[in-house]
Amino acid sequence: MRISVGLLGRLLTILLLTLAVEFVASTILYERSSRALIRNDEAHRLAEHLVVARTLIADRPWPERPAMAARLTTNRYDVHWAGQTRLAPATAAEQGEAFDRVMEWEPSLAGSDLRVQLVAVGREAQLFGALRLEDGTWLRFRASAPGDDAQPGWHRILLAFLPALVLLVLSTLLFRTTLRPMRMLARAAERVGRSSGLTLPEAGPREVRRVIRAFNAMQARIHQLITDRTQALAAVGHDLRTPLARLQLRTDTIDDPVVRRAFEADVAEMEAMVGSLLSFLGGEDDPEKPVRTDVAVMAATIVDDAADRGADATYGGAPHLEASIRPVGFKRAIGNLVENALHYGHAARVAVRAEDGMLVVRVDDDGPGIPEDQLDAVLHPFSRLDPARSRNTSGLGLGLAIVVRAAEAEGGTLDLANRPEGGLRAELRLPLR
Amino acid sequence: MTAPAVVLVEDDPALRTLTARALQENGYTVRPCATAPEMWRAMEQGAVDLVLLDIMLPGTSGIDLCRALRRESEVPIIFISARGSETDRVVGLELGADDYLPKPFGTRELIARVRAVLRRGGMEDRRAERGLGIIEFDGYTLSLPRRELLSPGGAVVDLTGAEFDLLVALIDHAQRVIARERLIELSRTRMGDSSDRSVDVLVSRLRRKLSGEGKDAPIITVRGVGYMLNAGVIRR
Repeated sequence: MRISVGLLGRLLTILLLTLAVEFVASTILYERSSRALIRNDEAHRLAEHLVVARTLIADRPWPERPAMAARLTTNRYDVHWAGQTRLAPATAAEQGEAFDRVMEWEPSLAGSDLRVQLVAVGREAQLFGALRLEDGTWLRFRASAPGDDAQPGWHRILLAFLPALVLLVLSTLLFRTTLRPMRMLARAAERVGRSSGLTLPEAGPREVRRVIRAFNAMQARIHQLITDRTQALAAVGHDLRTPLARLQLRTDTIDDPVVRRAFEADVAEMEAMVGSLLSFLGGEDDPEKPVRTDVAVMAATIVDDAADRGADATYGGAPHLEASIRPVGFKRAIGNLVENALHYGHAARVAVRAEDGMLVVRVDDDGPGIPEDQLDAVLHPFSRLDPARSRNTSGLGLGLAIVVRAAEAEGGTLDLANRPEGGLRAELRLPLR
Repeated sequence: MTAPAVVLVEDDPALRTLTARALQENGYTVRPCATAPEMWRAMEQGAVDLVLLDIMLPGTSGIDLCRALRRESEVPIIFISARGSETDRVVGLELGADDYLPKPFGTRELIARVRAVLRRGGMEDRRAERGLGIIEFDGYTLSLPRRELLSPGGAVVDLTGAEFDLLVALIDHAQRVIARERLIELSRTRMGDSSDRSVDVLVSRLRRKLSGEGKDAPIITVRGVGYMLNAGVIRR
């Protein structure tokens, strides 16, 4: 899951960056060109307005001129007839860029000592200027500066963002769909080696399809490899039982009871090893089907059996508890826990109970427990506690690994914990079905 | 009485010799065979009391052979298998084999199983006596071919061989008192399990396994005499 989110995030970041760069670039270009356009447009309008105003005002007698100027004043242009004032010659600032543009459009204004200047008034910029009529009187004018209005700019940004937003949502959905095979791949990869593998359908873009194809092939190879090894080991295990049977029958013909007993013990140990190996490989049984079983009675039977052999084993759980389990594997699992408790803890107290919808098989012993840092390690196959102890330990060290497998087959877990009052507590928990 | 004749079908020569010797030393006449055809010839050589069959034979699978054998004859069959697989065991027993002997086995175990199966008698007697071999009592269902007990809820109730045989003995004498001495005698002969566990312990374990919610098991102790299964029995 993390992979797919990361990829999606990265792709979206790339998309976002591209969008941002594109947006900034186009905005700058657009703003620039449109600002230039507006400036020209503005200058042209001002120029025309000035030509019209000059003609109309010059036609009127002096007393009517202020009224005419007032009529020519619009929202944008403020025209005012100033009479016979004397103005200083135009400065360079007064005949700058704005002046050039106006002149460019209306060269007829050339003889009127025109001056146009951009002046900042508060936050806004305004064009101030004056021009001389033919009779020597002056016309003053004022116009708000072109293109400095910020309002339309924000509008444009918002407008530009809307498609970007739609694009973002759309591409998120598309990316997710495109990346779905990757998510499936991750999920399938997590399952490799656990239960049955999962052959993925080859979907998605070409590169992903190739990865999936490679993954399926790899999975099949691994599966084949494991199956071959398992079958080979299981075959060896089964075949070993024939010579073991011969050995055992021959053992019975030994007269010396001491030698015979030693032989019997050796054969029994070898048989126990073969048995636990086959059980671990799952070769002992074809995949078992769940059978409704009284687990409490099953545990009690195991305890009775141990007690008959003289062990300190007691059962103290519910008298009956029925659940769907794989009986051979599960009986072996409880048996292994009891054997471990008796071997390391000298006693086994077994209880089967239903707790919060879970079936709990609890096996307590009175032994030294297991060092906290090794509680996990002992669950692994072929693991043993300290080497000194392994010398008087029979078996292959598969006991708890078999229990873990049996628990997983039922969708459950095995928990080991040192009890505060001493001794180890092994708990098999599975959903009560 | 002549020695019981046992046909032994085992493909491993050394194991065949050793098993045959162990049987002979315990008073059985053995006809050893390595393959299925040899077995059929051995069957024709005279009366056969028991067939010991290794199910991993080359050629015919032991299970097919068992099926074929059962079609021809009601002779008791004991499976020998290296697989120890529960499925094989159940299939074998359902096909009409009488018992199952996992490899490796010792002389004591071999002889005990052979003796127990021979004592139980041929399938003929028991078929006539038991029909399908399904027995119902007090809500429980007992399957003789599968050697399995199902609770009223349909769950398998795990019984040891000795407990199962004890229960069958009690069922055979349902609603009649069966003397303790008779049960001890049965446990020594008929019951495959050759342990010296006292009958009383077995009965108390069986009771515990057959007790329900607030309900005692239908096994009554008749003081000074023995035990009785206090429940109606339906055989199918």
